[in-house]
Amino acid sequence: MSHSERSDIFLLDAERTTWHDETLWFVREKRDKAVYATPEFQKLRQLASDIKDHTLSRLDFYLQQFEENARRNGVHVHWAADATEHNAIVLGLLRQHGATRVVKSKSMLTEECHLNPHLLANGIEVIDTDLGERIIQLREEAPSHVVLPAIHLKKEDVGDTFHKYLGTEKGNNDPQQLTETARQHLREKFLAGQVAISGVNFAVAETGTVVVCTNEGNADLGVNLAQVHIACMGMEKLIPRLSDLSVFTRILTRSATGQPITTYTSHFTRPAEGKELHIVIVDNGRTQQLGRPDFRASLKCIRCGACMNTCPVYRRSGGHSYDFTIPGPIGAILSPNIDMRKHASLPFASTLCGSCTDVCPVKIDIHTQLYKWRQVLGEAGKLPASKKWSMRLLSRVLAKPGMYSAGGKVARQALRLLPHGLTHGQGYNPWAIARELPEPPQQSFREWYAQQPQNDKA
Amino acid sequence: MSSREKILAAVTANQPAEVPLPTVPFFEGDASVEKFTALVQAIGGRVVEVAALAHLEEVVRQLFPADYRMASPLLSSTNVSVDAQTPLAVLADVELAVLQGEFGVAENGAIWLPEENMLHRALPMITQHLALVLSQQQLVATMHQAYARLATVGGYGTFLAGPSKTADIEQSLVIGAHGARSLTVLLVP
Repeated sequence: MSHSERSDIFLLDAERTTWHDETLWFVREKRDKAVYATPEFQKLRQLASDIKDHTLSRLDFYLQQFEENARRNGVHVHWAADATEHNAIVLGLLRQHGATRVVKSKSMLTEECHLNPHLLANGIEVIDTDLGERIIQLREEAPSHVVLPAIHLKKEDVGDTFHKYLGTEKGNNDPQQLTETARQHLREKFLAGQVAISGVNFAVAETGTVVVCTNEGNADLGVNLAQVHIACMGMEKLIPRLSDLSVFTRILTRSATGQPITTYTSHFTRPAEGKELHIVIVDNGRTQQLGRPDFRASLKCIRCGACMNTCPVYRRSGGHSYDFTIPGPIGAILSPNIDMRKHASLPFASTLCGSCTDVCPVKIDIHTQLYKWRQVLGEAGKLPASKKWSMRLLSRVLAKPGMYSAGGKVARQALRLLPHGLTHGQGYNPWAIARELPEPPQQSFREWYAQQPQNDKA
Repeated sequence: MSSREKILAAVTANQPAEVPLPTVPFFEGDASVEKFTALVQAIGGRVVEVAALAHLEEVVRQLFPADYRMASPLLSSTNVSVDAQTPLAVLADVELAVLQGEFGVAENGAIWLPEENMLHRALPMITQHLALVLSQQQLVATMHQAYARLATVGGYGTFLAGPSKTADIEQSLVIGAHGARSLTVLLVP
């Protein structure tokens, strides 16, 4: 299924689509307020972009520096070439500790690697502890947003889910009470967790520290109660210096939700006495993306979700329509690197309006990359037939002025004479599904221009 | 070849030509008590000014019920003793922790809390309510000054900003997700 076909499913519920659209736009507005209240925000964006560009240009050095410092801190560092190896490393660590109960905080990387199904299949109970992630885990769904994983759901959906799995009263849809239920339910899990898995927001090369940002405190609670902490990170999470965090902590949440900072910005450098800290560094296609000059800037992403909140297509099609771990504009430039055929429709899920690029806190040229992926997909023959042939026809017509003007003349007459059902036929004019074609003008601009007196033309 | 060698070789082959690492300027700003207080309140916390350190015990007693199970290295009236070896069952029942914050950041209301001040790494999150004692003299304007103050982040440390919260159900803000349900900053001279 293509992105537009999956969007059709989301769009069946018009009321929900409108709510989704307006809610994410509200988050975008909160972002604007926070950004405008920070006078140096544009300078911070440039700095963040430059720091990331530099890091990517010396990534081999920083990876080794990070590893060396982490090891010196008593941290175990593991390297995974792909998702399979990542999952095997994590399962191996769990087996080594005889662990069967795992608590996990938010990590898009483990979603990308499909860690949960792998652990479940091997008899491990794995509990997502971020509230939004727990909700979708109970419903066996994928996150629909990198920061707001359950944004596709209404409180009624959550109420039903909690009634079914956590025994809340039917019809209790109060967010406060539902959150309290989750708090009680997850406290038990935290206290019983033998191993805690977390993601990583930033990895500081000069100190070997990993930084994890949450609002709920679930990462800290899980990690600090369990005997073993496994932090899973994509290799692009590196930054050179501790002081670089000053830039990134100032832009991350302002861009994401409009908060000045997350509730917990936690720095893990050494394991607690008698405990273990493991860091798994994952490639899974990232070195390949690093080797694509047009697309390597996508590796600068800090997963704030601002490009999703602002995207007119994402807001009206929902995260699941992308069918990729990272949805939205950034997902549409990351996904073709992983599987060009499967995700061929995603770079077209955009109006190229450029709003994503405007809000990106690390200045990724997202809309330019969307455009460039379209060229790559076209050359690789991955365009759908309808698009390929209509584009070919259009380019023929546009290349011949005579044919273009004759075509226009025919079209203007045809639109006037043909019955509405034919010009707006859903089968072959998808543009007109929810729109009316404009009244055709009597003449084209060129015809009108030719009639004007010569003097006026100068 | 191990995955480590393979990955590093691919990175070296694929990374672009080196571009410079920028120097981050010290963006200054307002480091006033007023600004810090406004931010803490905006993120769901409360600030209580304590006239003198000697009144700390009394203020805590006024703000919180006397029968709370309380852990603190700063007060003599604590009734739960916590250290790094404290069993989880004891930790799970703590209702109030009063800990020393190192310094506050006015632009976002965050307070630096290093491991050494936590008694147990999980205490600031597992306690039902958290109070951080902070000196008015220890406020910085932005995260730039904050990180400049940290020669090291130690084994573990967190910038803690307000109570635990979530908006994962329909974007409705709920205070008290998994960590402390409330954060009180006890501002001492």
